[in-house]
This record gives sequence, C-alpha cells and structure tokens, in this order.
Amino acid sequence: MFLTRSEYDRGVNTFSPEGRLFQVEYAIEAIKLGSTAIGISTSEGVVLAVEKRITSSLMVPSTVEKIVEVDKHIGCATSGLMADARTLIERARVECQNHWFVYNERMSIESCAQAVSTLAIQFGDSSDGDGGAAAMSRPFGVAILFAGVEDGKPQLWHMDPSGTYVRHSAKAIGSGCEGAQQNLKDKYTPEISLSDAIDLALDTLKQVMEEKLNSTSVEVMTMTPQKEFYMFTKEEVEEHINKLA
Amino acid sequence: MNKFEQFPDYQVPGVQHHDFSPYESNGGSIVAIAGEDFAVIAADTRLSSGYNIHTRTQNKLFKLSENSVLGSTGCWSDTLSLTGLLKVRMQMYEHTHLKVMSTDALAQMLSITMYNRRFFPYYVSNILAGVDKDGKGVVYSYDPIGHCERATYRAGGTAGPLLQPVLDNQIGYKNQNLSQDELPKLSIDRAVAVAFDTFISAAERDIYTGDSVIINIITKDEIKSQELPLRKD
Repeated sequence: MFLTRSEYDRGVNTFSPEGRLFQVEYAIEAIKLGSTAIGISTSEGVVLAVEKRITSSLMVPSTVEKIVEVDKHIGCATSGLMADARTLIERARVECQNHWFVYNERMSIESCAQAVSTLAIQFGDSSDGDGGAAAMSRPFGVAILFAGVEDGKPQLWHMDPSGTYVRHSAKAIGSGCEGAQQNLKDKYTPEISLSDAIDLALDTLKQVMEEKLNSTSVEVMTMTPQKEFYMFTKEEVEEHINKLA
Repeated sequence: MNKFEQFPDYQVPGVQHHDFSPYESNGGSIVAIAGEDFAVIAADTRLSSGYNIHTRTQNKLFKLSENSVLGSTGCWSDTLSLTGLLKVRMQMYEHTHLKVMSTDALAQMLSITMYNRRFFPYYVSNILAGVDKDGKGVVYSYDPIGHCERATYRAGGTAGPLLQPVLDNQIGYKNQNLSQDELPKLSIDRAVAVAFDTFISAAERDIYTGDSVIINIITKDEIKSQELPLRKD
C-alpha cells in the first residue's frame, strides 16, 4: 500500500489519482503518536481527561499543558504536536475574543471550531497571488477536543488535521484512541452523570495508558454551566482515581 | 502654515477656493420607547435639504431582523450606505454562525461598524429598538462615531433636543417626586400615543420634521406598523 503512494505523498496540494491527500492522512496518523485525550459530554457538563507523558523524572509535570482555556465557556484538549496545538489554540482564543468584541456575546462552540478549522486547512504554497507566505507549509499535526457550554447546555466537538469538525457525545483521540473509543462506545449512555463520566474517562485512560495512572500523569477538566472552565486540582484528581481502584 | 494667499505674486483675480464638504443634513427625527415586553420606534417621513423638501414619504425605519428596527437620520446617503453594510454583515453572521443576530449583538456590531469610521464618520443619528433574547424591550442610541448607550426611551435627529425633555416627563416621570413603586407600568397604547404626540409637537417647531410619522411596534411575535399624518408646512 505504501509503495503506491510514491509520487503523490509529497505535495500537500496534490491529489493522488485515487483522490486522496496523503499529507493530510499522514497528519491524521501523527495524532496516533500523541498522548490520549478523552472527552465525554453529559447533560450536566463535559469532562475532558488527558494523559500527560512525563518522559523524565527531571521534567516539571505542571509545564506539560494539554488542557487549556480558550474562553470562559470553551476549553480544549489537544493531542499530537504540541507546538502546532499552541498555534491553533491561539487562533481559537483570538476568534473568541474578537467575537465578544464585535457582537458582545459568547462565540458558539461550533463557530469556534469552524474558525480553527479555517486555519487548519490553510497549508500549501502561497498561490494566492499577493506574494504573501502561506500560514503553514504542512497540515497541522493536531486533533482538538472542544468542550463548551452554550445557552446553558454542554457540547463536545472534535476537529482533526483535515479541518473536519463533528459534534460527539464521547470521543477519544491520540495513541490509545481505538481501544478508548470502543470502551466509551460500550459504557456511554446519554443519562450518565458528570461524576460517572469523570470516572469513565479516567478508567478508560487507565486501560490504554502505558504508564501508571496517577495525579501527575493525567489532567482533568470539567465544563459545566455553573462553574464553566474548571481544572481539577491534584487532590481532586486523586480522589477520583482512588474511587477507581 | 504656508497658504496660497500668503504669496501675492501668485494671486489671480477670480480664483475660487472650494472646501471639501461631503456632508449634508437631510433632517428627520426619531423617537424610541422600550416597554417590559415591547419596543416602539417612530420616525417622520420628510427628507429635506435647507429650505427644500426632497420627499414627504421617506420611511426612515429599517427592519433589520424579526426583532429589531433601526431608525436612522442625518445625511441620507450615509444612512443608506450604513444600513446596506449592516444588512450584508447580518447576512454573513447568519451564514457563519447559523443563527439570527440578536438585538444586543446587532447593537454592539453597529457601534463597532461606526467607530471603524472614526475619522470620516457616517453623519447619522441612529436609534436601535427591538426585543432581546428574553422578549424584553430594548432601545440603544448612538452618536455619529459609534458610542452606544442602552436606554428605555430616546429621541434623536433634528428635533431630538426638542423631544427628549417631553419623553423625560411623560415616560421617565422625571422631577415628579414619584417613588419607584408609584411609577405606572407603560402599556403599548400609551407608548404609541406619546410617540405620536411628540411628533405632532416637533412638526410644530422643527422645519425638518413633518409630513407624516411612521411607528413600528416590536414584540417577540411580530412587528406592526402605523402611520399618522403631520403638518406639511
């Protein structure tokens, strides 16, 4: 299969005769090297849980930031190339603030995902004629989970390097995504409580993680209509992990 | 400052100097009043220039959505340009965000749109009336460079300074030493009656206001329109 791709997998803006963009597909593959991130949407709120890879005992774990606040009502979990993720998150933040500035209202989660996807597909050479350089020379190697609250209702969206964004009830991205997604599919019900969703997310991470699950190797965040973006403290994460065992 | 006139050698008799004056006041007045679950907005229909009347039948109320109406007077060409731009931006908002713009979002966007022309402003007096997401009546008033203020009642345009005190008295019950719980609740009928009356008074004294007045009554379900003739002189 890889042999047939020989000529058409170099240019980011050239379709193969079978109608595929290999660089975009490779970027999607790149996500599967990243750490696992899980999002679960419930009627009470959304939970995001991610695995943090602490590759050395000399690393400062708190500096590995995989869940970030975009606006008070939108939070994101990322998997893939962290540097690329920063660029996309920056765009999401700017778009949210600009929307507030121009319309004096919160940006919808879908519009935020749409704005980021616009940047995500701006790769390729600068053939726009004005001589400006393209935003990016290759697809972004990141998948993003958007957790948000809109009109008092929680929402979870997922975006991949092709710029496709879809709303999900529960979604897993990153290296353990296949096993994790299957586990979510088996255990998720629309009636699940937020507390149970946190446990499900952590339990799923525990199953797919290579390292041991503890309060330094995971980050947990909830997005609820009451508290909005809320990052769990180490103690709160430990509380939930202890419940699992 | 080296002006041409400072050099006598170069002065030519009969030369005329024209100042750049791109603005014109075409007159007109607006009154808007917000109630608990409605808003009314009224504007006269006279369009004039100096002592000339261009038309007696120009509606100055722009229905921008199912729950908001903009009243705009001043330089009529600027009004047309600004409202055209607003309609385009509202349509783009609908396409990108897949929902109709709320009156509050529109109010902020109008402010930003006008401030973008800070150093060559739209010469317009704008008042936006409508109902918000909860069906509550709202009125926003603007200055020509986009300062936006939310109010419960407001008069604008050439007879604005004439009408605002009338509204202060009749709608705001100012200086009547009434306590908050003594203030009567405003009904649609009274808001409409007061709005019409103010225009009858304005037409009496302001030469740029007259001919007839159109009033829009905005509720969360519909926008109704009424017209009343005014003095034509």
